[in-house]
Parts: sequence; C-alpha cells; structure tokens
Amino acid sequence: MSASHASSATIEDDRSGVARSAATTAVGLSVLTMLLAVANVLNWITTDASVASVALSTLYGVALAVAGVVTVAVGLLSASAVIDANANDTSGVLSGLPVGLLALSVVGLVASQTLGYGVAIWAPAALVCAVAAFLFGSLAREDLTATLPWGGFALFVAAVLLAGVITPSWTWDPRHLGVALTGTITVPCLAFAASLATAWAAAKATQGFGARGRQAGAYLLIGANALFMLSLLVLLVAFVVEKGAGHALRGIHLGPGLSVHVPFVMNGAGLGYDIDGVFPAIVGTFWLVFGALVFAVPLGVGAAVFLAEYAERGRFTTVVDIATDGLWSTPSIVYGLFGYAFILPRLSPGGRPNVLAGMLVLGFMLIPLVLITSREAIDSVPDAYRDASVALGVGRWETIRSVVLPAAVPGVITGIILGVGRIAGETAPIILVAAGGLNADPIRVIHGFRFTSSPPFVANDALLSATNALPYQVYAVIETGVGGSESFGWASAFVLLLVVLCFYAVGIATRMYFQRKLER
Amino acid sequence: MISSIRPYRSRLDALSERATDEVVAGAIGALSVVAFGALFLALPTYSVFPVVTFALAAAYGWYRNQGATAKSLTFLATASTVIILGLIVVYLLWKSLLVFRIMGLDLFRLASPFWETSKRTFALTPMIWGTVVTTLIATCVAGPLGIAGAIFIAEMAPPRARGVVKPAVEMLAGIPSIVYGFIGFNVVNPAMSDYLGLVSLGSLFAVGLVIGVMALPTVVSVAEDAVTAVPDEMTDGALALGTTDWQSIKSVVIPASFSGLSAAVLLGIGRAVGETMAATVMLGHNQALPDPLYDVFANTETLTTLIASQYGNAITRDDFMSALFAAGVVLFVTVLCLSLLSRYIEARMQSTLGGST
Repeated sequence: MSASHASSATIEDDRSGVARSAATTAVGLSVLTMLLAVANVLNWITTDASVASVALSTLYGVALAVAGVVTVAVGLLSASAVIDANANDTSGVLSGLPVGLLALSVVGLVASQTLGYGVAIWAPAALVCAVAAFLFGSLAREDLTATLPWGGFALFVAAVLLAGVITPSWTWDPRHLGVALTGTITVPCLAFAASLATAWAAAKATQGFGARGRQAGAYLLIGANALFMLSLLVLLVAFVVEKGAGHALRGIHLGPGLSVHVPFVMNGAGLGYDIDGVFPAIVGTFWLVFGALVFAVPLGVGAAVFLAEYAERGRFTTVVDIATDGLWSTPSIVYGLFGYAFILPRLSPGGRPNVLAGMLVLGFMLIPLVLITSREAIDSVPDAYRDASVALGVGRWETIRSVVLPAAVPGVITGIILGVGRIAGETAPIILVAAGGLNADPIRVIHGFRFTSSPPFVANDALLSATNALPYQVYAVIETGVGGSESFGWASAFVLLLVVLCFYAVGIATRMYFQRKLER
Repeated sequence: MISSIRPYRSRLDALSERATDEVVAGAIGALSVVAFGALFLALPTYSVFPVVTFALAAAYGWYRNQGATAKSLTFLATASTVIILGLIVVYLLWKSLLVFRIMGLDLFRLASPFWETSKRTFALTPMIWGTVVTTLIATCVAGPLGIAGAIFIAEMAPPRARGVVKPAVEMLAGIPSIVYGFIGFNVVNPAMSDYLGLVSLGSLFAVGLVIGVMALPTVVSVAEDAVTAVPDEMTDGALALGTTDWQSIKSVVIPASFSGLSAAVLLGIGRAVGETMAATVMLGHNQALPDPLYDVFANTETLTTLIASQYGNAITRDDFMSALFAAGVVLFVTVLCLSLLSRYIEARMQSTLGGST
C-alpha cells in the first residue's frame, strides 16, 4: 500500500482514476488487436491487406506501441507512488518464470537468427538474460514485474513491425526443420502474443495490481481462452455446414403429395441417378448401429444390473471394473484388428469383410458405454425405493424389475443414445471388418434371410456381404477419390455430422430433462 | 404390481426348495455357454446348437424361477465383458507372435533399417516416435486450454451460461474423428503448406494440433466434473478469510481437484494415442524417423495410422499382418496403462475428498 497524505489523497485518487481508465483502454485495444490477429490467421483478412488505407502490420505496430506505452507508464507511475495501488513488494517465483522464459526466447532468437551469432555467443547471452529477467521478475515490486517485461515485449514487437524487419514477404528457414516460416503467419502470431501480453498486464493495472489485479488478469486470460475454444468448435461445425449443406440439399423438391425428396440423402450412387447420393451409406450405418444395439444393450444393461444390484464388492467386481475401463479406452483400430483376427474368419469363408462382423465389433465397443451409464443410472435410484418395495415383501428380482429398472430407464436410454452417437461415427473398425467399396444400392438385410439344410440353418447373404457406411464414405472420398468430388465429401461429412450430433443433442437433452425432474 | 408380490423367502429356504428341474435347466444353460465358446472357436457353423439349447434352458428357467434365472443371466452378461477383454488380449498377442519371433526385441531397435517389408524388417520405433510426438503436441493444446475452460465453466461463468456451455461442449465431444480428418485434410494441410512452406502435405505438427482440438471437449467435460466436485465448504472457508475468487480458485480449488484434473488430461492423452482417422487421412505414411528427430514438421507414421493405412498391403502376408498386430499390442498396453493410472488417481481423489458426497 502506498502511503498518502490526507491533503494529497484526492489528487492521487484523480490520477489513479485516469491511470485506470488508460489501462482499461489498453485492455480494449489489446483485445481488438487479438481478434484482428485471429481473423488474420483464419485468412479472413490477408496479412498484406490494409484496413482504412493503413497496412495491417502498421496497424498492429501502432496498436501494440500504444498498449505497450500505456502499460509501462502505469507500472512506472504505480511504482513511484504517483498513483494509488495495492501492489505487493515482491512478486514471487510464479511471476518470475514467464518473464525469464520470455527473455530466453526473445534474446535467443534475436541473437542467433537476426544477428547471426554462433551457439557459443547466443546461448550464454540468452541464459544470462533469462536468469536476470527471472530474478527481476521474482524479486522486484509486483507492479513493475507485471508491466515492464510485457509492455516492453509489445514495444519490441511494435518496433520490429513498424521498422519493417518482419514484413508479410519475410521468410525464415530454421536450420534442420523442414519449414520456411513466412511473414503472412509470423506477423499475426507475433501480434497475437504481444497483445495477449499487454491485455494481461493492463488488466492487472485496471484493478491497481495486488490480489484483485491478479484476479482481473487471470479472469481475462481464462475468459479469452473459453471464448476462443467455444468459437473454434462452433466454427468447425459451421464450416462443415457451410461447405456441405449446399451440395447435400441440391435438387430438393416437394411432392408428390406431402413427401420431400432430398436426392443426396435418398439416392444411391451410379449411372441411374441424376444426383449421386449417400442412401446406401445411410442404410449401411443404420444396420451396423442396429445390430450393435441388439447385441450390446442386453449385455450392457444386464451386466449393469448385476453389478449394481447383486454383486458384492470384491475381487470379481474389481476385475470387471478394470475390464470395463479397458474396453472403454481401447482404441477403435484395435477393435478393428480384433474383429479381423477373431470374427471375420468365423463368419465368412476367406475372411471377407461383412456387415455382421461390423455389427459385432461395434457392439463390443458399445458394451462399456452402455454398461457404465446404465450402472450409474441404477446406482442413482434412491435406496428408499428398494426399501419400500422389500418392506412390502417383494422379492429381489421383482423389486429390480418393477421398481429399480423403471426408475433407471431414462438414464439407461440416455447412455444408449450417447453410445450410439459415438459408434455411428466410428470409421477405423469399419475399414477393417465391414467395408468394401461403395455400393450403388443399399444392402437388403430383411429380404436376405433364408433357411438352409445344413447348420446354422439360417443364412443371410446381405449380412455376410460388405457394406458402405457414412463415415467410410467420407474416408473413401479422401483416400481414393471414389464417390465423387470434394463437395460430395463435404456433403457426406455434413450428413454424418448431422446424424451424430442429433443423437448427442437428443441424449443430452433427455438427460438434462430427467436431471431437472429429479432435482425438483 | 400387486399381483407380482410374492411371499419373502430366505436364501436358504429358496435353495432347499429349488426343484431338480431348475437345477437341471441351470446346468444345461451353463453347459450350453461352455459348448458355445468351444464350438465358436473351432467349428463356428455348429455353434447354433448350443445357442438353441441355451435359449430353451433360459426360457424354461424364466418360466420356473424368474429371480434365479435373471441373476444367472445378468451374471453371464457381466462375465462377458471380462471374456471379451480377455479375447482381445489373447488374439492380439497370438497374432503378433510371429513378428516377435522374427524381430525379437529388434521390434523396438534404435537404429535403421526400421521398416522394410520386403526384407521382413518390421521395427516399430518410427511409429512409436510419431505417436509420442503427436500425443505431446495434442496434450500441449488440450491440457492447459481444457483445464482453463473447465475452470471457466465451473467457477466463473454465470449459472445460465453454464447451462448452455456445458451441454454444448459435451455435444462437440461427439464430432466424429473422420470429420476432423476431412477438415484437416482439406483445410489445415493446405494452410500449413501455405504458411510454413512445407514440402509434403501433412506433418506431425498439423496432426497434433487437430487431435488436440479433438480431445479438447473431452478434457473440458471431465475436468469440469472434477472442479465441480470440490465441496463448496472448502472455497467458502477461503473466501471467509478474505481471499479473492481467483485466490480461492488458485489455492483451494485447483489443488483439491488436482487428481481429477490430471485424470482428465490422462483421458485426453488416451484419446490422442488411440486416435486413428484424422491422423490417417492427414499424414503421408512414411515409415521412417524424422531427421532430425525433433523435426515436428516431418511426415512419419503413428501406430494407429500404420494399421489403418498398411492393412490393405498386409492382408496377403502373415508376417506383415503380424507386425500390424504388434502395433496394436503396443497401443493397447499403452492405453490400458493410462486408463489404470487415471482410475488409480480418481480413487485417490475420492478418498481425499471423501465424506462430502
């Protein structure tokens, strides 16, 4: 706390108010620069473009210079007690480490790459500077360590950009690495890093440093990260929709009657169709998922009932828990290998890929998903329900069947839906065990059943033939170019994303609905 | 429901009253299961017979004594998870035996030649290195960003925003990896070669970035659960001492949920290790170590992409296929260890934070 006389207190408050609004402006300016840099990396603005007849890199330079000057000035004023602040007298190791790292990378890169010194000079120089910076960062007053290095870094970057040391046409080939770093990406990345640094430093200054200043700085960083992350993910989905929806909805028309015809979704692929579609792939995915459900749901739910209701905690349940975890985390390609080695040779002569094998392998993957969520759902049924039922003289299985399971059904169904969402998008095992090229017509499973005179007495050629599936379709477009152009691939990816996200949306919505019902 | 109420019987009574026909039905059911296992391994077409006898025995048992039958059936379902995992282990090991016999410990040799299929040289070192590098890059992306995101959702976001963001993040965890791969192949790879002047399309760096983004929602979602699990009493205590929110997050919430957070990161690592499709379509499949070793912009191979991309070439050769199974074994063991580790960490967290459920 800086001491202040009663008479000068109001003047100091005024000055502090001005300093804090200057810091707030610097935060705003830095955040704008960050957004600009992100737009630049995403190629919405090109690096050699100009905004309002000012070249982009000049714009970065000016903005960073202003933010840097304000940051440094506020720090110095606070340290010389001109303005009021609650800065600590020392900063601590946690503040020193990033300062040291900053010095290490800046000095190291400049000395070795820009000035061209050999290892014997740049390495010790960078190390000495880093240690000095670390000591300064840990031991000096907090308002200095929070502002000077970061504002200084911004000023340095601003000078580099304004002086034209790094321009959009600049390139750098680091030795031994197979890259040539271009100015088009370096400029926005530098601008982003520097503006992030000033935003953080200035945010601390707006609260007059100290605990509240650190909170402001941390919240700014974490908030920016959350915003960045969410927008990135939303952007991904929006990008696929933008690229794929047009092709997927091409030639859509109403009628006859109330029916809608979406050629891309309802057509097969081949000469007979005006617009090639993914209907065979959709049917394939449907059968794969359906088969996996028939196989995995009874096993998963049954095991969940046993573990939650019958089993005593002991060695057996531990083994089962480990097995479930193991199945849950086993990579999908390993399931594919397993299916190839274990299931294929037993289902079809010569071990050709077939639908039934795909169903079983996806079913294996689905079991742990269903088991874990069902068990949670059964465990969360209040014991009072069971007690009440048993108190009426109802047996154990009767209680499970008529009390516990009905209460757990929402959770079980949610788990199944989410699990289906996950396996519907699986590609790797399908490549190994179920897929074989792109068929023009959907597989006909229901019509495929016939009885035979030798065991196993039932045969279904459709189940034992290879199929196409939505995720495989996307893969095939990339890998072989089969199935058409890039826009066909985007449209397939769009349909796949739509299917999978719908499953997830429905699953999560049901879970939230029942959670709210339970909480009430 | 009332009609289904039966008089209570103790377990002992039930056992003594259990009729011979029930015991026989149970024995037939159990025998059918064993016979099915044996026949499916040896003569799969004949495994239809035990299926039929099992169905008959189960139906009879269901009719005579529903409770006991249900218990046996659910036990069978539970045992099947263990059996499936066991089968996976056995078949992976069995199929990879050949390459272990050819290569011995040279499977992990440190000097070239690594991978020359025509000379029966199958060393997995380049692929293991590729997996390590992509996983490291992915973890650097998904770990810190994911944990910060989780802290934002759990501690900073207003409740209403939280109700929207949490399900949205969970939904994004469901984007199939092939969709990421398609974006990576058509957008990230060309952008990388534009910005960084890469000679070849695809690099470990680009793959690591994409996998990191892919693992991000998973890490956020699990880490958020860990942060929310910290009892309010702990933060209340800190706040009552006059700390700021951030101080209580930094000094109370993060240390208390540390094991949960590391479990979340481990889960992300596990997902990155096992990620197949995005890497397969983005990489150039060059089964050699990058030169120099730390060149993250090089085009090598990972364990998963080796299997997915070489499967077509290997299908006619036992030794080649066996090498792919060896890659599967390495993957499986790695991921199983990660999962056991995160299980151990979570168990420890429960005992630390226990008593406040």
